[in-house]
Amino acid sequence: MNILQVEHLNKQYPGFRLDDVSFSVEEGSIMGFIGRNGAGKTTTIKSILNLVHADGGSVRFLGSDLWANETACRKQIGLVLGMFSYYPRKKLSTIADVTRRFYADWDEDLYQQLLRRFSLDPEKKINELSQGMRVKFSLALALSHDARLLILDEPTSGLDPVSRDELLDIFRTIIEDGAHSILFSTHIISDLEKCADYITYIKGGKILCSTDAESFKDAYRLVSGEAEQLERYRKQLVGYRAHAFGFTGLMPRDDAARATDLKIAPADMESIMIYTEKEDGHESAAE
Amino acid sequence: MKALLNKELRLCMHPTVFIYLGLVLMLLIPNYPYLVSCFFVCNAIFFVFQQSRENGDALYTAMLPVSKAQAVRAKCLFVVLFEAVDLVLMAGMCALSIVAMPPHNAGGTDHGLSLLAFALVLFAIFNLIFLPSFYKSGYKAGSAFLKGAIGVWIWIVIAEGMMIASAAAGSVPFFRFLQETVDCFPQTKAAWTVQGILFGAALLLWALGTLLAMHLSVQRYEKVDVQ
Repeated sequence: MNILQVEHLNKQYPGFRLDDVSFSVEEGSIMGFIGRNGAGKTTTIKSILNLVHADGGSVRFLGSDLWANETACRKQIGLVLGMFSYYPRKKLSTIADVTRRFYADWDEDLYQQLLRRFSLDPEKKINELSQGMRVKFSLALALSHDARLLILDEPTSGLDPVSRDELLDIFRTIIEDGAHSILFSTHIISDLEKCADYITYIKGGKILCSTDAESFKDAYRLVSGEAEQLERYRKQLVGYRAHAFGFTGLMPRDDAARATDLKIAPADMESIMIYTEKEDGHESAAE
Repeated sequence: MKALLNKELRLCMHPTVFIYLGLVLMLLIPNYPYLVSCFFVCNAIFFVFQQSRENGDALYTAMLPVSKAQAVRAKCLFVVLFEAVDLVLMAGMCALSIVAMPPHNAGGTDHGLSLLAFALVLFAIFNLIFLPSFYKSGYKAGSAFLKGAIGVWIWIVIAEGMMIASAAAGSVPFFRFLQETVDCFPQTKAAWTVQGILFGAALLLWALGTLLAMHLSVQRYEKVDVQ
């Protein structure tokens, strides 16, 4: 069952358009929402939550219209918009005490556990926390009210690798029961390699694909060859990088299967994104 | 709404709010235009909105399970509560003035129901201009306050000017009536009635004006994209 279903979301800004964005998040899964800076990830998330008014489209949460039943739906959604940078001179304990009053299902024991796990001192003020600790505080608040869906916009930015890994473990634990889901926007693709079940890829306000993580990676191959082979395969390459000894690039799986004279390797998510985002399809090492 | 009001009081309240509320003591200054003290309350409201903006209150609230309309209503209710507290303090100062102050205020409206009525009109004007103007963008507190302040000062000049003029032109029938019935604590039943009606009408104006301001604010903020 889909916990979140986004259909035909449109939003026009001067110079940017969110164009017919559709995807869904299944119960018990982690959806990685990827795209480079300015691709429309945050605008999509804010449109889903009605913080930005979409020009068209619909959003359903557990089958009901999220925009029409905003308050009830939002009680079951945990939202993290980057690191916590609000009320910098207030103590964590004060902010938590204000926040908990909005949720009937607030789990104080879980919140205290998370504080200990993230080494957060409730008596510290927000401006005394590092960027990473602010993200952790934001997550502790979002995780403590038994949200069915966590929507996290760049939650791992600013975290050290150990904390990121720890966080990804927590994400896996959250969805284990099959009832909770996570929509996780990031441009740190390695995080998604570790935990995402599905990938939705947005580029220039348009969804390029929304599929399971394995299919996403399996749709492409990394290829490399010599300089004289480049001209022959240029049209099939999604993107490539030319260098003194030849080229490396990304090719759709079926095309790669026919290019028997090239060296072929499985594609990772980061390579898929990097080669897809190249403006003119290629980059020369000499440039 | 209770949780939102708790958020307003514990996270958004600017510390200088209490200092501005303390300026109600200006009502004990002899011969002074006492409505000026209400302007400082408007100033405090502006600081609360400005502080909320600087502290990212809109985005924090966006993460909570509340609609934009509920968030706006809570902020408006906070303004109403703040103004109501000031009015109660003003009433206390008026009562204190009976024993502590000489009768008749040469600087404008004297202590009494009429002063509270004029203060209610002032707050109604401020709320009607400031709140919808702020929520048109959700962040332009300065220009919204400037517009509100202009409205407030025009009213202060009209109300206090009218009372000063009534004292100066005591022999003119209209001003004499105004002075006898509106200025100072009423001495007769008729004067009590006039001040009572004035206060009731002002209370109604404040309530309806603030409700309209809240309605317009909600409508305008619904169109704003929270960034």
